[in-house]
Formats: sequence, structure tokens, C-alpha cells
Amino acid sequence: MSEPAVEVKNLTKVFSLGLKKDYVVAVDNLSFEVKAGEVYGLIGPNGSGKSTTMKVVLGLMAASKGSAKVFGLDSGDIRARNEIGFLPENPYFYKHLSGAETLRFYGKLCGMKGAALKDRIGELLKLVDLEGAANRRLGGYSKGMLQRIGLAQSLIQNPRLVILDEPTAGVDPVGSRQIRDLIMRLRDEGYTVFLCSHLLEQVQEVCDRVGIIFKGRMRREGTLDELIEIENQTSMTIENATPELIAEINELIRSRAGARVVEEGHSRTSLEHLFIQIAERSREEKS
Amino acid sequence: MSDTPNAPAESAPRTTPRGAGKSVPIFSIGRVYTIASSTVTQLVRMKTFYFLLAFALVVVAVGNFNIPATPAKELSMIKKVAFGTMDIFAWLFAIVATALLIPKDVEDRTLYTILSKPVRRIEYLLGKLGGVLSVIAISLVAMYAICAVVIFSRESLFVAAEYDSMKASGQYTAAEIEEQLSLIQQQGLRAELGIAVLASFFKASVVAAVTIFLSTFASSSLFTIIVSILLFLIGHAHHMASSFWLDESGNSVVVQMMVKVIKILIPNYQLFSFSEGIVQGEAVVAALVWQMGGLTAGYLVVFLLLSLLVFVDKEF
Ligand SMILES: Nc1ncnc2c1ncn2[C@@H]1O[C@H](COP(=O)(O)OP(=O)(O)OP(=O)(O)O)[C@@H](O)[C@H]1O
Ligand SMILES: [Mg+2]
Repeated sequence: MSEPAVEVKNLTKVFSLGLKKDYVVAVDNLSFEVKAGEVYGLIGPNGSGKSTTMKVVLGLMAASKGSAKVFGLDSGDIRARNEIGFLPENPYFYKHLSGAETLRFYGKLCGMKGAALKDRIGELLKLVDLEGAANRRLGGYSKGMLQRIGLAQSLIQNPRLVILDEPTAGVDPVGSRQIRDLIMRLRDEGYTVFLCSHLLEQVQEVCDRVGIIFKGRMRREGTLDELIEIENQTSMTIENATPELIAEINELIRSRAGARVVEEGHSRTSLEHLFIQIAERSREEKS
Repeated sequence: MSDTPNAPAESAPRTTPRGAGKSVPIFSIGRVYTIASSTVTQLVRMKTFYFLLAFALVVVAVGNFNIPATPAKELSMIKKVAFGTMDIFAWLFAIVATALLIPKDVEDRTLYTILSKPVRRIEYLLGKLGGVLSVIAISLVAMYAICAVVIFSRESLFVAAEYDSMKASGQYTAAEIEEQLSLIQQQGLRAELGIAVLASFFKASVVAAVTIFLSTFASSSLFTIIVSILLFLIGHAHHMASSFWLDESGNSVVVQMMVKVIKILIPNYQLFSFSEGIVQGEAVVAALVWQMGGLTAGYLVVFLLLSLLVFVDKEF
């Protein structure tokens, strides 16, 4: 039962750009696992190789080196795709199809038919709250609606693993809230979710484990608590502190041997904090 | 691996069983059919069939021109216009539709979602080809029906008028009248015309397969369309082109081999031109029809295999 949903081992992906000498290393010796039943978030800035990693996992691209497996099957294996639902970044579907027709199309591609397919379409339309727009053509859908029909499409054959590439990109706060609630619901229902994003607060909210990727390399990985916690440091969040109180506290700390104030200021999202630290470190490495 | 046992009872829209490694057939006609029929829907909703309306108007208009010509000549002209239009529609549509649809799927990332379902790439290509060819077949049959009605109505009108006037003049024997009428009927509606439509269809399917091959590696639709049309034109001068190059390359084996390969890669569209004779009332040579069918099948297989060769390892 402990077979990982996704297993990426020493994955390297190099794109050559026209001339042989010119190349981009999009993913650089990347290894990680997504365990069955968890929500795993890959976060990193634009161009860090998130989408590329997902495409290799899906078998849309071949790895230059290393391997990617889905439930123990090679990612190129067509059987692996029975187990995966995929929502690409900024998805477009056939504009000439309605929401229900879109789901029917993808269901048939998965070999579904008849009443089972019809029921499933109904369920999913309800799940993503598009029952009212089921018979409208996608050409008239808003960005948030497209994203939700895309999510429904990815779930059509009831896969065990759902891969979402920036599921909330370009969606307003309300729509993004809806999508995050859906992801949490999927986890409760036993789906494994592998998503990527650069919206840290959102990742922090839905993910069990997070990997931070920069320039194609994994910089930090772990459960949220692990990542955020710094063992020998304690932070306090104080409301309505007067300057006098803070001065007093500082004085008290200074009087104890070994203790010092590392940082003082308004509290912020800790994952964001970590992210920026890593970004700074990797910039220093470069220069 | 079984379902997660602790899923909340009230949730779970769970209709299909899950299981890794659930077998996927090596090839599924069902998936090809799904992609083909969605392609047909797409083309229909792009209002392709309005072309048929325009076609009907043209044919009816030409049929009702009162040109000073013999009945046989007039029928022949209607056929020339109608079958010429059908032929151009078929190959041009094959090129444009094929060249637009596949790159559009890539650009819109629709292809990602299709290929991330258990769909093989050959199934996708066959589905697209099948969809485009179905639309062409339906259009050709409809156009053929439209012109059959026009030709038949003009023909019976002419035959009746000719018979009446010859009979009335009283100078002709029954045999002479019969001969004159059969001259008109030869240019009228005859079953052989169907072979000409079939030739247009076969030509269009080869054109579509070539275009699919080009669009598997071309980076833009425009490039694909231009190169396809170029190959189409060269393919019509196949004899001339190949004899020219073969003469020039009497020297080395390598060059000769290359010419042979190029000769195969540029389909010989002259194969299909015998249908022009059929339209003009010539007899059908069965051997030519068989040759056309066989070579069409051959070209389809070759170009689909070549496309697959490129497409199987293509990265998106
Ligand atoms: N097909 C391609 N050809 C050449 N280079 C590519 C290709 N696809 C991606 N790259 C390069 O690989 C790197 C990683 O791209 P990728 O799309 O995986 O980033 P990402 O993390 O998904 O970024 P974003 O947050 O902007 O979506 C980039 O430098 C990009 O330019
Ligand atoms: Mg991306």
C-alpha cells in the first residue's frame, strides 16, 4: 500500500535550442516522491522547471536522464495514464463543445460509455458547480469556469492521481477559493494530488508536503511543519505591543546568555519567508 | 492497490473501479472514432457545410445559363464546372483543415489533455484524418447529389425537346433519332460519374495524409499549407519532374537512390487525372481504377507511418 503515486529519480531535462551548443537545463537531477493519498505541491518561480517536470511525469516529454514512475509504471506506459488526470496551465478545450460535451469527449477517450458516463458527467458538473452552464459552449466560459471544467475533465475516469499545473492561475480570489476547497475535498476522498504553483499562501493551505524548486533543482522538501519550523528559534506574535513593551522584552533577552533576537518586525507568511530566503541564497550562489 | 478504504461515506463520486495497470487495448477503434467524430463536430460547427449551399447555387446557375450551344455541349459544361469545383474543394479542404486542426490542438494545449488520457498517438492521428475525410466524403456525396439532380433535369429536358423537334421535322428515321438522343445521354447522368467523385476523394485522402505528415514537424500552419500545395503542384507534373531528374542523375547510385525516395515521397497526383476523361463521357478503364485504389492505400500507409515516426517521440 506504500507504493508512491509519483516517483521521480535523478530527472534531468535538457532542451537544445536550435544550434547544438545552445541548451537550457530545465530540470537538473531532480528526485522526489509523491505518496499515495497526499497533496504534494511543487513550488518555484517562473521558468524553474515545474511544468517540464509534470510533462515528463505524464509522458508528454521524455527525460534526458533519470526516470519518472507513476504507481510503479513507467511514465511513458499508456496504462499509467488511466491513473492520471491532468489539468495543464492555462488550459483551452474545444471551444465548440459545451461543458457536458467536453466531459463526454474525455470520458469516451477513457473508454467510458452509456449510463455510467452520463452519471459521472452529472456528478462532476455538480462537483465543480457548473451544472447551470453544462449546455453552454466553452467559447463563452470565463477563465474560472474553464479552470473548473478542466478539473472536472481531469477527474472523469476517476483516476487515483490528479496532476494540476497552476490550478488557480488567473482565477479571482473567490474562484481560487472554490478550487482550493475542491482540492481539499479530493484529498478527503482519497485522491492523490500533485500540483505546482507559485502562489505560496495557497500552496501552504492545501498541501501536505511541499518541494521548493529553483532552476530545476530541489532546494528544500518536507512537510509544511518541517519546512517552516526552525528548531532553535521561537517566534512570538504580539498584538498591540507598545514600543516600551518591545524595548523591555529586548532588554530581557539581551540579559540572558546565548539568547538573541534574530529578527523583529511584522509577521508574514512563513512559507513566503522561506521562499525568498532560498531565492536570495541561490542568487548569491550564482554571482 | 484497492480503493482507499477510509473515504468519507457521503462523498465519493466513485463509479468506475480504479486500479493501476488496468489493461489498455493496443489499439482502440472506439477512441479513433471518438476523436474523428469530435473533429467532424468541430468542422461542422465551423460552418463548413455552408460551402454546399454556395456550390448548389453555382451549379443551378450554370445549369440555367442559356448559352447558344448544343445540348451535349451544355451538359458537358455543367459537368466540367461541377466536378472541377468538387475536386478543388476536396483537395483544398483536405490541406487547409488538416493543417489548421493539429497545430491548433498543440497551441491550445488541448493535445496535452487528450494525450494524457489513455490515447495512443496513432489513434489521435487516425482520428483527425478520419474526421477530415468524413467531412470531405459527406460533402462530396452531397455535391454529387446536387449535380445529379441538375444534370438529370437538364438532360431529360434536352432529350424531350430534341425528340419532339426531330420527330416534328419528319426527316429522320427512328435509328437516327435514337443515335442523336444517345449522343446527349452520353453527356448526361451516368453511373460512371461516381468513379470521378471517388477519384477526387482518393486524391483528397492522399493530400490529407501528406499534410498530416508535414504538420507533425512543421512549426506553423502556414508553412504546412504552402508546402502541401507545392507538393500537390509538383505531384501533378510527376512524370515530367522525375524523368528530368532521372536523366540528370545517370551518374551515381546515391543520387539515383535519392531520386527514387523523393519520387515516392511526392505522390503522383497524375494518377487521378483520368477522372477528367470520365467526366467528359469517356469509358472507364477498370485497370486504372484498381491502380488508383491500390496506390492510394499505399500512399496512406506510407505517410501515416512516416507521421507516426515523427509524432511518437514528439515533445510538446
Ligand atoms: N519546449 C521547450 N523548448 C525549449 N525550452 C523550454 C521548453 N519548455 C520549457 N523550456 C525552458 O525550460 C525552463 C523551465 O520551463 P517550465 O515551463 O518548466 O517552467 P515553469 O516552472 O513551469 O514556469 P512557469 O511558472 O512560468 O510556468 C524554462 O527556462 C523554459 O524556457
Ligand atoms: Mg509552468
